[in-house]
Amino acid sequence: MAGAPVLTDPYTLAVNRLKTLSKVMTTRAAIAQTPKEVVWTLNKAKLYRYVPVVPKEKRHRTPLLLVFALMNRPYILDLRPGHSFVEYMVKNGYDVYLLDWGVPGPEDKNLKFDDYTLEYMPRAIRKLKAVSGSEEFSLLGWCIGAILATIYAALRGGDDLRNLILLTAPLDFSNKESLTFARWVDERYFDVDKVLGAFGNMPGEMIDYGAKALKPVENYIGSYVKLWENLGDPRIVEAWHAMNTWVTDNVPLAGGAFRQLIVDLYRNDKLMSGEFVIRGEHVDLNRIRANLLTVIAESDHITPPCQSEPIMSKVSSRDKELFRVNGGHIGIMAGSGASKHTWPHVNGWLGARSK
Amino acid sequence: MHPAEYPCAKGGGKMGDEQARDGKPFDPMDPWRGMRDAYLDVWAKTMVEAVNSEAYAQASGAILDSYLTASSPFREAVEKTMLKVLEQLSMPSRADFVSLAERMTNVEMRLDDMDAKLDSILQRVSKTAPAERMKPPSAPRQRNRTAKAAPKKKGAR
Repeated sequence: MAGAPVLTDPYTLAVNRLKTLSKVMTTRAAIAQTPKEVVWTLNKAKLYRYVPVVPKEKRHRTPLLLVFALMNRPYILDLRPGHSFVEYMVKNGYDVYLLDWGVPGPEDKNLKFDDYTLEYMPRAIRKLKAVSGSEEFSLLGWCIGAILATIYAALRGGDDLRNLILLTAPLDFSNKESLTFARWVDERYFDVDKVLGAFGNMPGEMIDYGAKALKPVENYIGSYVKLWENLGDPRIVEAWHAMNTWVTDNVPLAGGAFRQLIVDLYRNDKLMSGEFVIRGEHVDLNRIRANLLTVIAESDHITPPCQSEPIMSKVSSRDKELFRVNGGHIGIMAGSGASKHTWPHVNGWLGARSK
Repeated sequence: MHPAEYPCAKGGGKMGDEQARDGKPFDPMDPWRGMRDAYLDVWAKTMVEAVNSEAYAQASGAILDSYLTASSPFREAVEKTMLKVLEQLSMPSRADFVSLAERMTNVEMRLDDMDAKLDSILQRVSKTAPAERMKPPSAPRQRNRTAKAAPKKKGAR
């Protein structure tokens, strides 16, 4: 066509790059696309059931419940089509449920681990059993979700909890030298009551700043430099856009739970020492008997491996495995290598134990 | 993971025949990119060490503490004023909404308990119902006369 702009001219290319940059920086990517239905709600929490795509007779008998952290959106487990752990598991014949904690409001500032593990989780699990028709279930917890899953497994995980999968689980807080967060929230420098007195819940923006400040140059500069260099590659831009949508979608952490996380866990390491008390009950990790798979990210700067390893010697599970993956805290499940390493391993391990 | 972890092609600074073999045109910015990446790597390592120090923990704690101390009187003043204004306007305050929301959650929990009990009853009924059907027929039952509809009274609709 005569007079049409030549796509390779530097001006047009620069304009196109700026348009792409503007789009990925100012819009939300289409995330969490796997079809699902809400089967239970309580306060802000919702239990989703993903629509099965495998006929019932070919499906695994034991349903799988996914529990993610309290201060991030759980759709990282279902980021985008073709790059979704949920989609992968549904296609592999699992009846998958996801517990979304929602966004706590000012009325939820007193919610503690006690409420999440002894009020919300048992109710959601009861509904899961009613909907699935199965008396047994598997539980997968990731990050703070792994703390909740561990506490639940120790307090209420009877014979019905068949398999427990813990991903990058921050459980042991004894090695203070390896934990930057522990240094920041030391009682000499960080007044948790003053912060919660001002905000009620711990604001999502502050949590996000804390996570990014662990690697400030990579997160505040390197990330954008690399995006700029790859603006011409739609595959990378799409992945960046989806991840950025998740990273910037912050959720506050309920004040009561935040106080427990800082005081009882980061400062006093009560979970591993058996001193952690939930509604008058000591959380005894020795009571965990479910088959256990612990997944560790070797390059995790948020939950270093030393926080997840010690649980292996604390539980009573006869069938237990520690699986190490090269990658970061989120990358092992949502990065480009997740579908080649972590997901197939989880699928293989769980599949053999879900019949 | 942050988007920073996605793959990125790095420049190599090749020229002439070598570049023709790769099929990549020569980019004069490649050496600059190499220098920039090296600089960012060094800076990143330095910053990780810095944020991991006691001094950083102390400084960030002091900044947060002074912000909270400084903003506290303003925050309290705004809260008190807002409360008075809402009272004068006969409108509910944040505390009222919080209290209502807490009550709602308690009601939801009661409903959930009832749902659990109903599920349990239905489960028992569905288990016993087939067993009832499987029972051999016993002696013929007497017709329950009281179950019959009473004759309509005069004037009854």
